[in-house]
Amino acid sequence: MRVTLSGITVRFGTVTAVDDVSLTIEPGEIHAIVGENGAGKSTLMNALFGLIEPQAGTITLDGEPHRWASPQKAIQAGVGMVHQHFMLQDSMSVLENILLCSEPVGPLGFVNFSAARKSLEERAKGHGIALPLGRRVGTLSVGEKQVVEILKLLYRDARLLILDEPTSVLTPQEKDRLFAVLRSFRAEGRAIVLITHKLDEVMEIADRVSVMRAGKLVSSEPLAANTKERIAREIVGGELPPVRKRKKREPGDVVLSLDSLEIAGRGGAVGPLSFSVRRGEIVGIAGVSGNGQTELVEALVGLRRPHSGSATLLGNRVETLDVETRRHIGMSYIPEDRQRMGLALAASVSDNANAGREDRAAFTRGPFLDRKAMADFARSLIERFRIRVAGPSAAASTMSGGNKQKLVVGRELARNTPLVIAENPTWGVDIGAIDFIHGELMRMRDEGHAVLLVSTELDEILALSDRILVMFEGRIAGVIPAEEADRERIGDLMTSRAVEALAEVA
Amino acid sequence: MSMRRGTVPGEVLSWVGLVAAILAIFFLLMLMVGAPVGEALQGFISGAFGGRRFAYLMTTLSRSALIIGMAVSVMLSFRAGLFNIGGEGQLVAGGLAAALAAVLLPGPPLFVLVASIGAAMLAGALWALLAGALQLYVGVPLLVGSLLLNYPARYIASYMVAHPFRDVQSGMLQSHLVPMEMWLPYFPGTRLDIGILIVGVAAIFAIIYSYTTVHGYHARMNGLSPDFARAVGLPVGKLTLQTLAMSGAIAGLVGAVAVFGIHHRYIDGMLVQPLYAWTGIIAVLLVNMVPWAVPLSGFFFAAVQTGATGMERAAGVPKELALVMQAVIILFVASRVSSTLFASSARKETDGA
Repeated sequence: MRVTLSGITVRFGTVTAVDDVSLTIEPGEIHAIVGENGAGKSTLMNALFGLIEPQAGTITLDGEPHRWASPQKAIQAGVGMVHQHFMLQDSMSVLENILLCSEPVGPLGFVNFSAARKSLEERAKGHGIALPLGRRVGTLSVGEKQVVEILKLLYRDARLLILDEPTSVLTPQEKDRLFAVLRSFRAEGRAIVLITHKLDEVMEIADRVSVMRAGKLVSSEPLAANTKERIAREIVGGELPPVRKRKKREPGDVVLSLDSLEIAGRGGAVGPLSFSVRRGEIVGIAGVSGNGQTELVEALVGLRRPHSGSATLLGNRVETLDVETRRHIGMSYIPEDRQRMGLALAASVSDNANAGREDRAAFTRGPFLDRKAMADFARSLIERFRIRVAGPSAAASTMSGGNKQKLVVGRELARNTPLVIAENPTWGVDIGAIDFIHGELMRMRDEGHAVLLVSTELDEILALSDRILVMFEGRIAGVIPAEEADRERIGDLMTSRAVEALAEVA
Repeated sequence: MSMRRGTVPGEVLSWVGLVAAILAIFFLLMLMVGAPVGEALQGFISGAFGGRRFAYLMTTLSRSALIIGMAVSVMLSFRAGLFNIGGEGQLVAGGLAAALAAVLLPGPPLFVLVASIGAAMLAGALWALLAGALQLYVGVPLLVGSLLLNYPARYIASYMVAHPFRDVQSGMLQSHLVPMEMWLPYFPGTRLDIGILIVGVAAIFAIIYSYTTVHGYHARMNGLSPDFARAVGLPVGKLTLQTLAMSGAIAGLVGAVAVFGIHHRYIDGMLVQPLYAWTGIIAVLLVNMVPWAVPLSGFFFAAVQTGATGMERAAGVPKELALVMQAVIILFVASRVSSTLFASSARKETDGA
């Protein structure tokens, strides 16, 4: 199916998210759309999929103009999309999920499950996909759930498949299998759009690359006519930040140590976990999300009580203490979810900046707040961490993702505690902010703080960590020193069952 | 504190449209029952603000004292993210405690009055804390726990004034009259007691607390995002209990004001039937919990209620219709006021102070 978008414009209020974008997707082509967060990639694809109605522009499929206000119409026309956040019913089986909304209904109103199962199994096999169709989706790993989403598109025989950041939840091996399946789709003449921000993947699989920046299409060219460096420059709209150099440094005393800590988790028990973090080192915890990292972090911060084992922070047993006491002893916490946990969005920047401060005398007079001191402190963070915002009294919700994250990072790092726990600290922020936040974490390490970095971005783990622990199914699958770390080795340890689901194409 | 933002002509126009819409519905309703429109309208206005020597205005003020008090109590909880809808139980606990303490305690009247008010605040606070403890230690959600605790409070009070502490001679379900020396004095030349001043002090305390104190700041952060409050290490459990105690104490105080200022005893149902607590909740929600606007909103609700009564009296409009009218006014004003406040409340909160 040849898809032509011309002059697509999407506005949200006064913000133009997609600005007059024209682009053609050929059949039998893997078309990568790259750009920073907020560049408009997902919005453009949501418009193509009917989730958003563009203010201007036309969508043409095989020469026929289409307009749709809902995804149903787009699906009927042969467009399918796998969203970053899966749209699945956990309590239903794989087969039921796949058939949902396109059930093969007999004349009496009964669903013919066995026929559907047969045809689906055949098609899946042709692409090297093997997944037990009777399993409940809730019991599947993240990688397997993605396979369910892909099977959904296959069942509906989508001629255009849109995948939004499909590899962000996969191990390197799972990614290889996914790409093999995508190649097999391409061989059948399906068109595939891959939204991503990972250039290595683009170079590996794409036939054509379109770069978006600030809502505009910067370029759309065959991969052969492009280079990685050029694409990277086009994404950023200027020169790339230089590669970070790690200063050699011997780690000092132990700051945090865990001894067979066990935590009750959502998908089974987590632990026993034993490891330590020392002054002047960044310990990275790698792993596909959902393998116990959240539980570990919550138990360390004090948001969840472990059921056995111990955690020691600067010589104090902390596993049963509350968050406030642990922070007093010497811990800072950069949560993964800045919208909900990192900030109170409806409150002002100043209110956000001063929350959780121990030096209460500095911004209070008796029981009263010293608003000026609070604003001054917020202003100092805004300057030091180069946060772009109208001022201390602006609502936190008015900032962009990167600036919100800088405020969270700034507030926590300004506390200068011996231990910093950072959970996906650069999730969904632009390259400039990523570079800045990485620099700050590295500076903390160089100044002798202990940093525990939990991240699902392998690149981030590799760029910063002195030591890498890989988590899989609630346990530490292995420890790798930075010098010996490479993607394949870490990927082996991150391996999950999804690899079996996407067996090699015969 | 800051005024509403937005273009002035647009703002005025939308309010004019609002009034026109309310009047149109009013006109239709009057036409339906065949009541004289002009008289009904006049009855409404004079019923809320007029009367001989402003007697009705005094009724409105007296009613607003209780509604504003309850609204302030609810506001403290709501702003902290605590869905305490047990104001009624806390109000009853306070009213009962005040009426009983005033009758039972020995000593000079002023001392007993102060002690009784203290007892009322303590009773309200404890009743609210009970709901808080149920949430923190037993896992009953505050919304459910606080609501359900209204019923035991109501029926314990009924029992108390029906059996052990009943004024049998009066023939009614009520406690003995409190000694006259303890009655709150009236403003000279009116039938309005000084309870409204006591509520005013509570409201000023609540406004100052919300905008300027550390505790109020922490409670607000918890209200805006409980996950955030937990993650930055605010003492969430302690904040919950302290805030509920404050809320309950103010509700108890309102109960005491009703006893010493208006009824001079505890009469079964006197704090429940007029729906003070529930009106207070609506008054707070109408202005999206913005502290300085809460007293105004409370006064508005009192005026609508007494005005509706006036309409019934003056134009013979059935009471049911008066209630419909009341609902229409509230709905229209709610749509207008909340959209204005929602748009700029975040800014106001930091600008005001």
